[in-house]
Amino acid sequence: MTGATIQAKNGVNGAVSAVLKSLKDSGCVDAVLVPTRVKSGETFVYLLIRNPKMLDSCAPLPPVMPVQGARALQSLTRHGKVEQTVLCVMRPCEVRASIELAKRRQVDLENVLFMSLDCPGALRTRDYVNDPEALDKRYQGILNNWEGDGLRPTCETCVHFSCEDVPVDLHVGLVGTKEEEAVIIGVSKRGEELLDKAGIECSEDVSAWQVEVEKARDKKAGNRSKVVSELKDKAAGMDNLGLLFADCINCHNCMRVCPICYCRQCFFDSSDQVRLRAEDYFAKAQARGGIRFPGDMMQFHLGRIYHMGLSCVGCGACEDGCPMDVPVSQVFAFAGDEVQKTFDYVPGRSTDEPIPTLTYEEDELHEYEDA
Amino acid sequence: MHNARGTTHEAYCVEREALSMKQFQVPRPPDDALRDMLASLMDKGKVGGVFALAQTGENSYSYALITDKKLLDHIVPTLPLMPANAGKMVSRLTMLEPVKTPIAVIMRPCELRALFELVKLEQARLDNLLFISYTCGGVLEMKTAKDGLQLKLEEYWKQVKTGGVSEDMRDSCRVCENFVPTGADITLTLVGNDNGKQTTVQVNSEKGEEFLAGLSYELTEAGPELEALDSMRKKRAEQKPDVFGQFAAEELGMAGLTALFGRCIGCHACGRACPVCYCSSCHFEAAENEFDPSTLETELTNRGALRLPTGTLYYQIGRLFHVSISCVGCGMCSDVCPVDIPVASLFAKLAGSVQGMFGYVSGRDAEEKIPTSTFEMEELEEIGA
Amino acid sequence: MADDGAARQLDKEILSPKPGIQSPAEGGGDFQPRIVGFLCNWCSYAGADLAGVTRLKMPPSMVAIRVMCSSRVDPLFVLKAFLAGADGVLVAGCHPGDCHYQTGNYYTRRRFALTLKVLEELGLEANRVRLSWVSASEGGRFAEVVTEFTETIRKAGPNPAKTEVFL
Repeated sequence: MTGATIQAKNGVNGAVSAVLKSLKDSGCVDAVLVPTRVKSGETFVYLLIRNPKMLDSCAPLPPVMPVQGARALQSLTRHGKVEQTVLCVMRPCEVRASIELAKRRQVDLENVLFMSLDCPGALRTRDYVNDPEALDKRYQGILNNWEGDGLRPTCETCVHFSCEDVPVDLHVGLVGTKEEEAVIIGVSKRGEELLDKAGIECSEDVSAWQVEVEKARDKKAGNRSKVVSELKDKAAGMDNLGLLFADCINCHNCMRVCPICYCRQCFFDSSDQVRLRAEDYFAKAQARGGIRFPGDMMQFHLGRIYHMGLSCVGCGACEDGCPMDVPVSQVFAFAGDEVQKTFDYVPGRSTDEPIPTLTYEEDELHEYEDA
Repeated sequence: MHNARGTTHEAYCVEREALSMKQFQVPRPPDDALRDMLASLMDKGKVGGVFALAQTGENSYSYALITDKKLLDHIVPTLPLMPANAGKMVSRLTMLEPVKTPIAVIMRPCELRALFELVKLEQARLDNLLFISYTCGGVLEMKTAKDGLQLKLEEYWKQVKTGGVSEDMRDSCRVCENFVPTGADITLTLVGNDNGKQTTVQVNSEKGEEFLAGLSYELTEAGPELEALDSMRKKRAEQKPDVFGQFAAEELGMAGLTALFGRCIGCHACGRACPVCYCSSCHFEAAENEFDPSTLETELTNRGALRLPTGTLYYQIGRLFHVSISCVGCGMCSDVCPVDIPVASLFAKLAGSVQGMFGYVSGRDAEEKIPTSTFEMEELEEIGA
Repeated sequence: MADDGAARQLDKEILSPKPGIQSPAEGGGDFQPRIVGFLCNWCSYAGADLAGVTRLKMPPSMVAIRVMCSSRVDPLFVLKAFLAGADGVLVAGCHPGDCHYQTGNYYTRRRFALTLKVLEELGLEANRVRLSWVSASEGGRFAEVVTEFTETIRKAGPNPAKTEVFL
């Protein structure tokens, strides 16, 4: 693998936005989907930018992920492909979620290119919007040391923070690169062509960066197995699950911010679920002495694990959007991991890999049949 | 367009207070008094169930429909927390048909008002419901449940006793002047009372009296509560500049609104938590409202860039158009907002103006029509030329 | 809003650039107001038709969207046009008392009062929206309304929502 060093004297964002500008100028990209700081400064939104001047103020790697990028792309292409060539600059988990949505035909990838960056994780959005200056500083520290406080819990254990198993066209390497430097790599053939057309020559050896990525991944994998084993004890059994979800007020916001949960009409909000006859509610109450309103909290969470656990990319959007700080993303990432292993499936790894439950082999999984 | 009734909520409450028939005291704190009262109602078979806020875990609370008397120990009807608007929850219970077994429903004034709005919108039925409410000191932010609740409760109840305003309350509660329930059969007067020891109960309707028949009590005169209610009304009015100031028209405009909703992540939690945002299929989530890629070229030409997902202001302002006429100012929307947009305060301010235009206070009366669903032939001549 | 035909049409009408008119981002020259008019089928649309047939003079500033009754106009239609960058939004229906459906326009009036109130409270330019009663026989009045409204909008200048990115 080869790449090119880019100077990052004004930070990663400045360096990458310069690359984006030259890609735009070269004419092979019509518009760039990239996070940009809002005028009032306290957060970032996804903008699809065509005016090159606006690229000056973009922030390819913001400290937070308020909207999961896959949802931004979905909002653009749910009703069909775009005619313009769009380069999406996203975190790896956002690219992976986009791929999962494409498999579900909620995103159209035609004319869409992806660029990702080595991602140290995202800070909690609520913390950030309430004190952006302090958190900007903190995030700078995290970028330098590749660890720090206040990250989303799933980010602490994420092993897909670089471009391995992420089908991007371009990638910006940051881990372990020299201070004020980053490397840009054309990962796919199209990516190489883009860089070529933009006049960015990619001939440098990037194995030093690759070694650093491996090291960082080992560390995160260590965190992950530790957290997973802790969670196994904490989450096993109905009583424990009940405790984990105890603070849930059943607002279903985790579902609405989840990039994978795409149904327009959620089953758990449907008439079948929430519009029972009064007598039926009564019968349910009488069976236990009482029922919660809104009800079916456990069914909702477990049901959601069934519906999207296979495709869960562990982005942590659910927990970020939870008004009660229920550790929902951790339970999901853990449960997701287990089901994904069953099918040797890595969500978002490749568009060619079908979702396991939408395909089958005739001779498989006999251990699950009554033996 | 002018309502035959008093145009202010205050005037209306005075009217209601005059209607209240009887008042008596129970030498127990409110939650205990209610548990006793409800247990006796269940024993006598007068109600088959109780709908109230219940404690469901160490720091967790939820509304519940309880049919087993033993579980009444779990109810905490006057605890100042609102995990969901009870009006919305009772609408779920009674959406398809009225309840057949009478149940006692304990909810806050704004929840009762939300329920009455939902009745007008044909989303709920009132048959066989006995309404118990109380003069309401407001609620704390839901997160308080797991963050120093006990300490904050002390301060809260102190303020309730003297008719003050607690700083930890939802912003929408700090400015709410509709804290006297209208339409309740039984009202506990919490404001102005020392709720540690005794509870003052008002019986407001014949239905209420019927249910309480057989209970022995001695009638009393109204105590210090009227004075405290006055004080609370004044103190809450004083909070308005602080809570509403940032939403002055000259502060908003296109620039102010894009700044206010810049951080909106489009999760629609506010709408889903809102009791009067009742559509089961929301326009803003419909396929028709999603972006049409064939319009992209024009958008990019006009603006140079496009925010995705699209339609943030369209959603927020659109929701103001649709629900401000029925907004009860309960504050659920702000409480569930994951990025702390003070959306409830904005809605409460606009609800005041919009409803004021028609002399309407949402939900004060289940019989009154929502202004946009009726009209008068001679009105609003200044509109339309 | 179960039937979104009108809203869909709105998207197309407002968003597609008219040939010969430069986009605002390109710094197009003279300001030509673009007004979206929601016209009731029975009165105002017929009034507009009459104005055209009688060849009355009025500026070509309005895109007409026909609705069966002015009360079909959800405030969201007005908002959508406004945020999409329409310089003005006109709602026109039968005079009060003359509604083809007896009472539709009385509801329109209340709904429009609400629409105006919300826009005013939010500091948005309420003078960019207008409700007018125009009967089927009032071709002249229709031309007047359009001319007058176009002038108001010309003075107000282009709608800033047209170029706003962070909507």
